[in-house]
Amino acid sequence: MSPLMPETSHGTAPAAAGIPRRSVLTTAAAAVAALGGSAALTGCSGAASASPSRAVPTHGPAGRPDRGGTLRIARPPASDAETLDPASALSAYEYLGALYNRLVRIAPDGTVAPDLAESWEPDAKATTWTFRLRRGVTFHDGRAFTSADAAYTLRHILAKATASPQAPVLSPLVDPGRLRTPDAHTLVVPLKSPHAEFPSLLTHYNCYVVPEGSAGSIGRTGIGTGPFRLASFTAAGPGRVTAYADHWAGRPVLDAIDFYTVADMQARSNALLAGQVDLLSQTNLDFATARVVAASDRATIARAENAQWYVLPMLTTEKPFTDPRVRQAMKLAYDPAHILKAALQGAGTAGWDNPVPPNDPAHIATHPAHDPEKARHLLKRAGHERLAVDLYTSSYDPIFTPMALAYQESAGRAGIRIRVKTAAADSYYTQIWMKKPLMATYWYTGRPVDQLLNQVFRGGSSYNETAWSDKEFDALLDRARREIDEGRRRELYGQAQTLVVERGGAITPMFADRLVGISRKVRGYAEHGFEFDYLHIGLKGA
Amino acid sequence: MFSFLLRRVVAALGTLLLSSVMVFLAVQALPGDVATQVLGRDATPDAVAALRKQMGLDQPAWERYADWIKGALHGDFGTSLVTTKPVGGEVAQYLGNSALIAVVTVLFAVTGSVVLGVVAGLYRDRWPDHLISTVSLVGMSVPEFVVATVLVLAFSVTVPVLPAVVLYGPGAGVGQLLPAVWLPAAALAIVMAAYIVRMARTSVIDVMASEYVTTARLKGLTTWRVVTRHALPSALLPTLHVIALNVAWLVGGVAVVENVFNYPGIGKLMLTSVQNRDLPVIQAIALISAVVYVVCNLAADLGSMALNPKLRTRGGRIR
Repeated sequence: MSPLMPETSHGTAPAAAGIPRRSVLTTAAAAVAALGGSAALTGCSGAASASPSRAVPTHGPAGRPDRGGTLRIARPPASDAETLDPASALSAYEYLGALYNRLVRIAPDGTVAPDLAESWEPDAKATTWTFRLRRGVTFHDGRAFTSADAAYTLRHILAKATASPQAPVLSPLVDPGRLRTPDAHTLVVPLKSPHAEFPSLLTHYNCYVVPEGSAGSIGRTGIGTGPFRLASFTAAGPGRVTAYADHWAGRPVLDAIDFYTVADMQARSNALLAGQVDLLSQTNLDFATARVVAASDRATIARAENAQWYVLPMLTTEKPFTDPRVRQAMKLAYDPAHILKAALQGAGTAGWDNPVPPNDPAHIATHPAHDPEKARHLLKRAGHERLAVDLYTSSYDPIFTPMALAYQESAGRAGIRIRVKTAAADSYYTQIWMKKPLMATYWYTGRPVDQLLNQVFRGGSSYNETAWSDKEFDALLDRARREIDEGRRRELYGQAQTLVVERGGAITPMFADRLVGISRKVRGYAEHGFEFDYLHIGLKGA
Repeated sequence: MFSFLLRRVVAALGTLLLSSVMVFLAVQALPGDVATQVLGRDATPDAVAALRKQMGLDQPAWERYADWIKGALHGDFGTSLVTTKPVGGEVAQYLGNSALIAVVTVLFAVTGSVVLGVVAGLYRDRWPDHLISTVSLVGMSVPEFVVATVLVLAFSVTVPVLPAVVLYGPGAGVGQLLPAVWLPAAALAIVMAAYIVRMARTSVIDVMASEYVTTARLKGLTTWRVVTRHALPSALLPTLHVIALNVAWLVGGVAVVENVFNYPGIGKLMLTSVQNRDLPVIQAIALISAVVYVVCNLAADLGSMALNPKLRTRGGRIR
């Protein structure tokens, strides 16, 4: 009889607090992907032993782009109902940075930098923030940008109807009715409680500024102040943006960007190899595919350093992880260096269970050493001498399973038995994440330290994937928010990280470089966290 | 003849209803509902509640299903829960794109495989037969997504003559899609043809060994005439069934191949709808697939009757 139809799926889950959607084919294409896609034919296997530096370039082509040209970007769809409304949970991520600006953004060194706000200052207690806005900025429809638009944007994010993922972060702090606009270029934000890091919360990609009164139309019109204006947009389909000559920071290098939606990761890399697109967005190529791309004469690999952090969250409300000694043992038992090498071929940085990225100014580098003996001892004291637990993974991301297997091996040396279980990719984030006691997941880096710690580790937060609730930790975060002195505030965030490492439920083996597939014609590609440089990227000889 | 047709139509309608119920139950059994699936990691209680309200999911599932069936009977397939567009128009658009692949595939696969199968049958146990049989066995054994990937590497990456993926959405015109049709069609045709070749070969061998072919030869007719006028009509009979079943299989095979090529067809729509748990769209596609299946089988049977005088008089069916 005829071949049976393999059951396939490309689970796309939205960018939870910035988890970009990645597409996966659970069976068919995953099998090919496991062979490294096209590597299936070149005979190189996923378990490459070559050093990454030799096989995959560390950065894209150097040099300056020519003026003009059209960049073609392949992207995964946010959903079939995606929208250009930046505040929405279903926003089409790649369009946002091209079409809009925020009040503030994150600089490569991790500090908050000006965008539409030129300067900002708190009052003496950090309970009121005043933003001085840039003059001479226009929206794509010619209207001048004023403080009314900035205030409207905040109200739009906080509106219940918008259901913005950033609303739970801002609503405890901002009362939309109390925003003040003393003049066209000043926005005053009174806070419900002091917050010395408040501007950093406005760097999130839900906080792009939209014109006043646009809530009903912004999802289709995409009218912003950004370097490109919308030419066309189809949800989960193709779209185009063209250079906005009157952009306040000058005209972008490119004439236009074409966005193409390709749900399947394999198909996305094929499009790049065939020269149909120039850049793969939100796509962390697995190492085998990256080697094939790097070997091609049309495309190469650029890196977004430490762009993702991988986690094995232990649900602290489920046995045996309710016991902090077990959690500590699970962390001491494994060697991050081993996982980094086995799962990423070294393309990243060891995490040592601290989720704050190494380039963040608040990052602390101290951590307990890998100590399997101490792990055994702790487990013995906790009465779990023969600890055996299930670890869930899926083909949602190509790194999950290699990471799970590497952890299994590493922790096995400390006597912990891990059973790796594979779940369906398409319901992984609705059925496994935050429901199973131990699983594999990842986040995109790029959240400022205050948002990161509050959103993922604070008791009761909707993204708290370990369900960890620690009063001392929460109090530290509150104290840090009230602390005006930057040095002391950093110290407090440092103490908070120490608590996450020592008591929390997140095993954070590593930060991973994103291996970004780009055409050899692309120049000036720069991306960190959720910041993509749309102004300076261009093409050479296109 | 008429009563036979009537029986078949009633059975077909039963099949459609049953498949619709089965699909509904299967979707209910899947973890997660449309709101949580679409939001994924952002499925905070507030966001899910807002989206459910927006999608009108406050009624129980079976009630919504009953409404859908009522509408479907009047030719109204409702609206997609995710895109809020009418399902009928959306499915028709994707179906049209898939039809483009299907037509090219069937033309290639059927003509090519019948010719190859007959050649293999006539040259039984000689080198053309060995070659054709071996190649078709390989075609049978290799899954279509592997064939597709190899074709992409050969004709889009190494020698870039055809696009590796379709970059247009479902609204693309025939002119835009045409260059992208050949590789997916070839991938499907290779897998499909393998089965037809083997069937055609077997039946040609059977028929050529039969008494009436021997008689025809003894009458001094040329080989060409014997094959075309006496052997082929009987040899094609069993082959027709395999062709029909393979066309029905296309509905499934197309899902895998369309995904590899990012082709905006019914298979890709089915994948995303299942992932989104978008019931109205899944139901519409399931119905169409069932219709294709039933019609293909019916066509195979009617074709058999047309080619086999014995059956026409008895009104029976080959088993």
